[in-house]
Amino acid sequence: MTLQALLDALTLGSVYLLFALGMALVWGTIGILNFAHGVTFMFSAFVAHLVAEQVRLPMPAIVVIAVATGALLSTLTQLLAFQPIMKRARDYRTAEMRILIGGIGVAAIPLAVAQRISLGSPFGYQTSSYRAEVYQVLGLRVTTTGLIILAAGLGIGIGASWWIRASRQGLALRSIGVDPVTASLMGVNRSALALSTMAVAGGLAGLAGALLTYHLGAIASETGDTFLIKAFAIIVLGGLGCMTGSVLGSYVLAAAETVVLVNNWGSWVDAVSFGLIFLVLLVRPQGLLGRAEVRRT
Amino acid sequence: MTTWYYTNIVLIQSTFTTLLLALSLQVPMRVGVFSFAGVGCFGLGGYAAAIAMTRFDMSTAESVAVGTALAGVAALLLGLLVQRLTGLYLAMATVAFTLIVSVVAVNGGDLTGGAGGIFGALGDLQTWHLLVAAVVVVALLAMTERGAIGRRVEAVRENPELAASFGINVTRYRVTAFTVSGVLGGLSGAFTILLRSTVTPDAISFHLIVLALTVIIVGGWTSWLGALVGSVIFVWLPSMLDFVGDWEAVVYGAIVALAAVFLPEGVVGLIGATVRRLRRVRRRAGGAGAVPAAAPDADLPDADAASPAVVPPATRGVTQ
Repeated sequence: MTLQALLDALTLGSVYLLFALGMALVWGTIGILNFAHGVTFMFSAFVAHLVAEQVRLPMPAIVVIAVATGALLSTLTQLLAFQPIMKRARDYRTAEMRILIGGIGVAAIPLAVAQRISLGSPFGYQTSSYRAEVYQVLGLRVTTTGLIILAAGLGIGIGASWWIRASRQGLALRSIGVDPVTASLMGVNRSALALSTMAVAGGLAGLAGALLTYHLGAIASETGDTFLIKAFAIIVLGGLGCMTGSVLGSYVLAAAETVVLVNNWGSWVDAVSFGLIFLVLLVRPQGLLGRAEVRRT
Repeated sequence: MTTWYYTNIVLIQSTFTTLLLALSLQVPMRVGVFSFAGVGCFGLGGYAAAIAMTRFDMSTAESVAVGTALAGVAALLLGLLVQRLTGLYLAMATVAFTLIVSVVAVNGGDLTGGAGGIFGALGDLQTWHLLVAAVVVVALLAMTERGAIGRRVEAVRENPELAASFGINVTRYRVTAFTVSGVLGGLSGAFTILLRSTVTPDAISFHLIVLALTVIIVGGWTSWLGALVGSVIFVWLPSMLDFVGDWEAVVYGAIVALAAVFLPEGVVGLIGATVRRLRRVRRRAGGAGAVPAAAPDADLPDADAASPAVVPPATRGVTQ
């Protein structure tokens, strides 16, 4: 792998990380596998695109719009779908499945709206006032967008891992992940914490969406679905409930996909994440850095 | 009647194929595993049937048999491979399996026709073939919903540990459900492709998983009747709802989300619960007075609302 490919892998891994981090945070703590996360990611970028078409905006403004949209969408999903399901479900196992299905249903709505408005064509921020600068450093092609993505991915990834390990709120979140009932007895406000976790996850998805759109120039409405499966692969690979694992998983997946691309096996690229899910679940179900779980049947 | 039949023949036929596909997701659900492998087997069965017909000049019946058998074997192997997994992990592993089928189809070279798929695999299937297949499948599945076997299936779903302690081989039930799911998916795929005459890798997508799931969730996952009701609703609704038109996907999404929140057992479950409630009311009105507090009813949504976290699963239906 050349240095250029390595740099590309790092940039791609950072986008994966921003996306997967939110999903891992929500799933690992409040136990919700949010199937609307991919659509939140796409739709935030899309709303920012719609705004950018009307007003000429600099990059930070676009990113802020996308983050806010993501947080809003995610909060609404939690309030309107997941929270009622959790309240009504008989036990955790049925709740898990109904949340999965509810997420799939919710996801269909913004996807259809975006497809309808964009008429199925990819969208981007051509009207934004931001233009990426390209530098040649040591023979490497480096863009400002790539650098921003790298910094955001690494910074937020490491920051979140540290925050959940060291802060008081992080402790509360982890305690919900381990034992929700006892955590509530210890004074953790579960529904408030769940809502804010979902909002943060949505914001991260929005950030990933806007940055990816800047990086690629344009994304299609269906991008979210692919990302969802990839994020699942990342979480499984890293180990559920372990943020450092997701950081590691993102870069491993990006590196593996880059290897496939560099060798011109492009049409197999999606199989990497699907195959990885299988391999990890069968060989090491707790993931690279996760704790082993005991299951009897 | 005949004019109606000929104008709607496509819808009638796809009601049956959709029913088979929906059942292929429902069977594993009824033993408590959430598997989407049926959709992958739909693709396998479709591709195998199309290849058998176009590349090996087999007849329609042989092609369907090849597709179904291959899908069944693949599902059996997959079931043995993933039997350690449960819950969301199993669900996602089977999603991965389904999407891998699609990637393999893209990369299959001459055999699968690459991204362009296979054309000209038109079988001579009649509607009554589909009807017979659907009736046989439904009759067999209906038998697993009642009597001793029905109770065992329910026990495996509701409380696998307890079922195992009663001497029920939980793993065997799960692997069998996987195989049946694969056979049904393969059958549906072979029928669908031989009716359409073309198959492309796009046919096996996340969207198809969502569609099959929607059918069961809205219809009801506890019995074959739910799959039938769901298939009828989702095959015929688009042609009825002209005014929905372009916003069809939005309406579907909303229906699924609402069903997930409010109708955990679908339309059929709702009707069943209403009937039971009416009967209870009538019995009470009958004035026998000594009505045994109506067997613990898991359909009451507010029963455990206070503690959604971990509640010992119901053990009804286990005693034999």
